[in-house]
Amino acid sequence: MTLTLLDELLLFSGVTVLVALFLGRRLPAGWMVTILYGIQLLSLLKMAPLGYGGDPIPSTLILEVMGQTLSWRFDALSWYFALITLGSALLSSWYACGEWEQRFRQAGGNVWLFHLAMALNVFSMLILLASGDLLSLFIGWELVSWAGFLLMAMAGGVATRAAMRYITYAMVGAMAIFGGIALVYVSAGSLQYDAILTAVSQMGTPHLWMLVILFSAGFGIKMGLMPFHLWQAPAYAETPGPGSAFLGAISSRMGLFAILLVLVKLFGIVNIESLKIPFTLIDARDLLAWIAVFTIIFPTFTAMKQNDARELLAWHGIGQGGYMLLGLVVADAMGAAGGLLHVFNHATYQAALFMAVTAVIHRTGTSDLNKLGGLVVRMPLSFMVLLVGIIGLAGLPPMNGFVSKWLVYRSLLNEGMPLLFVAAVIGTLGTILSVYKLIHNIFLGQLRVEHEHIKEAPWSMMIPMLILAAIIFITGLLPGIPLAWVASVQEAVGLSVPNYTLGGVESASGSLDMIWVIGVLFAGFGIGALVFYSAGKSKRVHQLDNYAGGHFLTADIRYQYSDNFYAGLMHLIGGWYRGSFLWLEKSVKSLVEFLSLGMQGIYRRANAEFYLLSTALFVIAWVVI
Amino acid sequence: MSSIKQIPVIEEKRTNPLARVFDELVRFCRSRSLFLLHYCTGCGAIELPPAMTSRFDMERLGIQPMVSPRQADILLITGYVSIKTLKRVILTYEQMGSPKYVIGICSCTVNGGMYWQSYATAKKLDEYMPVDLYIAGCMPRPEAVIEGLQQLMQRIKTGEAKGWEDYYRNYDYYLGNQQKLFGNDWQTPTDVITEAKHYDLLGEGTLGEHTALLEQHQQPLEALEMRLGHQVKEPAE
Repeated sequence: MTLTLLDELLLFSGVTVLVALFLGRRLPAGWMVTILYGIQLLSLLKMAPLGYGGDPIPSTLILEVMGQTLSWRFDALSWYFALITLGSALLSSWYACGEWEQRFRQAGGNVWLFHLAMALNVFSMLILLASGDLLSLFIGWELVSWAGFLLMAMAGGVATRAAMRYITYAMVGAMAIFGGIALVYVSAGSLQYDAILTAVSQMGTPHLWMLVILFSAGFGIKMGLMPFHLWQAPAYAETPGPGSAFLGAISSRMGLFAILLVLVKLFGIVNIESLKIPFTLIDARDLLAWIAVFTIIFPTFTAMKQNDARELLAWHGIGQGGYMLLGLVVADAMGAAGGLLHVFNHATYQAALFMAVTAVIHRTGTSDLNKLGGLVVRMPLSFMVLLVGIIGLAGLPPMNGFVSKWLVYRSLLNEGMPLLFVAAVIGTLGTILSVYKLIHNIFLGQLRVEHEHIKEAPWSMMIPMLILAAIIFITGLLPGIPLAWVASVQEAVGLSVPNYTLGGVESASGSLDMIWVIGVLFAGFGIGALVFYSAGKSKRVHQLDNYAGGHFLTADIRYQYSDNFYAGLMHLIGGWYRGSFLWLEKSVKSLVEFLSLGMQGIYRRANAEFYLLSTALFVIAWVVI
Repeated sequence: MSSIKQIPVIEEKRTNPLARVFDELVRFCRSRSLFLLHYCTGCGAIELPPAMTSRFDMERLGIQPMVSPRQADILLITGYVSIKTLKRVILTYEQMGSPKYVIGICSCTVNGGMYWQSYATAKKLDEYMPVDLYIAGCMPRPEAVIEGLQQLMQRIKTGEAKGWEDYYRNYDYYLGNQQKLFGNDWQTPTDVITEAKHYDLLGEGTLGEHTALLEQHQQPLEALEMRLGHQVKEPAE
């Protein structure tokens, strides 16, 4: 028996978990685990032909359970997501294993548990990504859910509450998926993908409806789709810094991976489109698209209201997931490419942003946007990373987020979906406003006296951040690199492929060449710089040499406020924030509580005669009927 | 105004004939795009809204209000300047970027006007900062204001409006007058002497006994010693 490349990868990943588990308490776990992630990434890169249309690589491990074959294999889709997973794990772990770890230990955190949880997350994600049938998919899904819970809950206190909420949602989702799998098994008689593909073509509409609802709800919960989005932001925000960078980058994309696999590859967008909703003009695909668009808008505007930098970013993680799903359900060559590319792009900038915010927390001790400001003079490199990250998040050139969002917008216009387009643009507006709040309240404005002596983040944290910033820019300049992987993913799931080039895409309805876009942009910067530097000497003025209506500024006057940002805008739209979803969640919760109280009442009664009588009645009724 | 006449006239030696054309072009453009910071302290302010709005419309001359001194070209002072106000006016003037022009409106800025006998009024504005143009009257009507602004534009175009250079070259004189009024420990956040060096405008009158006195009393700016005076209420989630 020879080991395939996939076996090798999963073996290394398992070894990482074992090393973290047994050696992590005594030896410096961080560095060992980071190096092992590097080895895993190398072993993944050996499978690189997958990203360029190579044949799937199977695992030698095949299990037989109750007549069901469980198998694992890697194809282009798995490889693409695994690349993002391992990349973000490597950089987050690298980020964590220097000074951050020492501080975390001093603050009473359990470094060993943190690295173990990260390694478990990576291992379980790889297992999920490698799943070769619906049963192994479900096993991987459960592993990912519980590993995520471990990482989220480890900080204790508020984090545990958020993680409990997460696991409640995740279990509801898992039950929905389990129900879906049972239904598939009943109709297909097998859980192998090939058997399902043939079964789907013979399924009736009600059956397919049921499956689409169960699976998209189950996977949608992990993605944080509306209305199941409430768990995500607090859970990710309360995870220890590098952990939230890792989770924010990839964790909820597992939901998107599963949606791609089950809804797009197995069921097919055409079949989903055939599900008309009676008495309306829309079908199931439109419904998904609108859910995606509302997932963009509402969480993004909720992000704008957050006063904690981590919460703000975590809410954006939900909103950006909407773009990915939107691109996928449009499902033409460009839209699907945009949605898939956004997974990669989002992972890069979200990790960079979480890392930059964690660096600020590392130095200042707070992520409260009302208590920071002016840090650009103390932490210029972190500022640069955050700037690069927010440009990516807002989807503006020259960063990579622009390319994927452009592709999604383009496909919406091409396919004649102007309302969805406008809604997506409204979401982008909210993104731009809120990322401005982020960078302004942390880095711009007046430096606070308590932050006068802080230094730039340590190099162990800075280098991963700079690497991410470089990736964000390079894949913005040359989006052809990730687009090649995306194209083979599209082929693997049976979607049409756009005509991509190194600088973007070519299409009859309008091409994009980022090399030109960025060239023109930088030429503009060059002209600006020429004007600036040829205009003669400039003069720096003192911070207190500032105009305040002719008032003399003294040290105890605060002349710049960042509290209550967007007060004017909130005056206009504040009334829209009604917390309807919180209300919904609460009412479901109290309904469940009420029902369980009722059930408890029956058990508490302990009335043996009553139970005996009712059982007897039931048996008689069953026999008679 | 007397001190302005004492400015030694320095002939610009430009060998390149194009340079003269270029200078003229720059002056022309400068005169056609003026941002105006109005420091309205007295009754003269009431004449400015008509001068700015549709009836007289100073924007047709390329003049429009500006909210901050850093971007402003003209400092317009209307009416009497009390000693307390004058400190703010000087602070604002020093914060403006060069070239900058000062217009004094109303009799009060010329000689104290009807406040001549007041103990709290600075009578002549040009003792404390170089004034490029006075528009006298109590109060001057908008026509007069527009007329004055046009004259300033003319002076900028011909290169006569050079009051701001005088402030650097004769800083000691102005500072002396300021110290006489405000006391020896008077200081502004702007370091005028460094600026004079920066603009190559260090003249014979820049440094003197008064600047020496300033150096004696000067307190360094401490930017970061700031505290939040009150706790801002957290917005409700």
